[in-house]
Amino acid sequence: MKTLTRAAFPSIFSIAVSGAAVLMAAALLAQPSPPGKPGPAPQQAQKLTASAIQFERSDPPEDLLVPEDFRVAAYENVILQLIKTKKFQHVYRSGDRTAADVPDLVILHLIPQAFKEGSQKQREVTTISGFTSIKVKLQFTSPDGKILLEKDLQGKVRFYGENLRATSDLAKKVAAVVNDTF
Amino acid sequence: MKTRSAQMNPGVSSKQREIVRRLAQLPGLLVLAVAVVFVAAAGPAFSRQLATPQASQSTLVQHVKCVIGLENIKPNTKGTLSLLPTGLEFEAGKNKVDISTASIQDIFTGQESRQDVSGPGGTLAKAAIPYGGGRIVSLFSHKVEVLTVEYVDPNGGFHGTVFVLSEGKATMFKDQLVAQGAKVSTHVEPPQPKEQKP
Repeated sequence: MKTLTRAAFPSIFSIAVSGAAVLMAAALLAQPSPPGKPGPAPQQAQKLTASAIQFERSDPPEDLLVPEDFRVAAYENVILQLIKTKKFQHVYRSGDRTAADVPDLVILHLIPQAFKEGSQKQREVTTISGFTSIKVKLQFTSPDGKILLEKDLQGKVRFYGENLRATSDLAKKVAAVVNDTF
Repeated sequence: MKTRSAQMNPGVSSKQREIVRRLAQLPGLLVLAVAVVFVAAAGPAFSRQLATPQASQSTLVQHVKCVIGLENIKPNTKGTLSLLPTGLEFEAGKNKVDISTASIQDIFTGQESRQDVSGPGGTLAKAAIPYGGGRIVSLFSHKVEVLTVEYVDPNGGFHGTVFVLSEGKATMFKDQLVAQGAKVSTHVEPPQPKEQKP
């Protein structure tokens, strides 16, 4: 076996020092960001776990009228998207009595906040007006009503497609939030 | 006398025979009259009993678009919507979905307009027309009716389905479902499109 000569020590030392520097830099980057600064750490802290979810229908405020076909289309699109995420063993519908026995159930509410019904013809002819949009407040709550997460979302159709496509857009955004949260 | 009586007898016997013949016809006429009266009285009742199933069987509309909400039916599938004595049935190819009248919680109808040329193919065709000619095509539209049916499954889970039908058909379905006993609440009609905020 060959013994190390004195000339090899500087190069070994430099490799060790650079390795230590890389490790220190990695450790510094892994530190949570100081309060007030946005960063990925708070999102990591809000990860929720649940084996099942129930989507409860929420009525809009009294002074806000949302056509029933929009409400139903939004509800059914969200149910489809929740199933597609494959984050839960079971997706319960609003009013499903069997959900009461599930121990770690999370309840999803979408509370309508604003609604603007546009026109498909106007959109396609002008391309700058006739948008349809629906704004909702998304809430994840525990069965006892404790709010776990709250977020504002908007579904819209800007150019091509029927007005009800806004509900499909909204459902995809809800699914994105579910994927980030669970 | 013999001769006279012989001359008179044939006249008397023919008259008697005539009277007897008419008397024999009377019960027959009486029975016929009674039968006509019974048939006239029973006719409307029978026709009403027959008309109801015929009307419900004939309520069948093709090329109905199920926008969303039916199990095993993909969104925006076209099929045949029919009204059965037990409720609604939507059939698209081999798939068939029933909604029983008893499970229906509410029914809504609304009017909308749809582009005559739409869908991915139509959109591409419009985009391919030079000098913005596709916008002219977008001006052509037709009125449709939207039928929204809300119902519950055996566990109490809420379901809703949205159908798009030709003008006038949604109201017809709603009226017939209500006649069958489907629940309907009083609705507040939304105003004309306008931004609304709380």
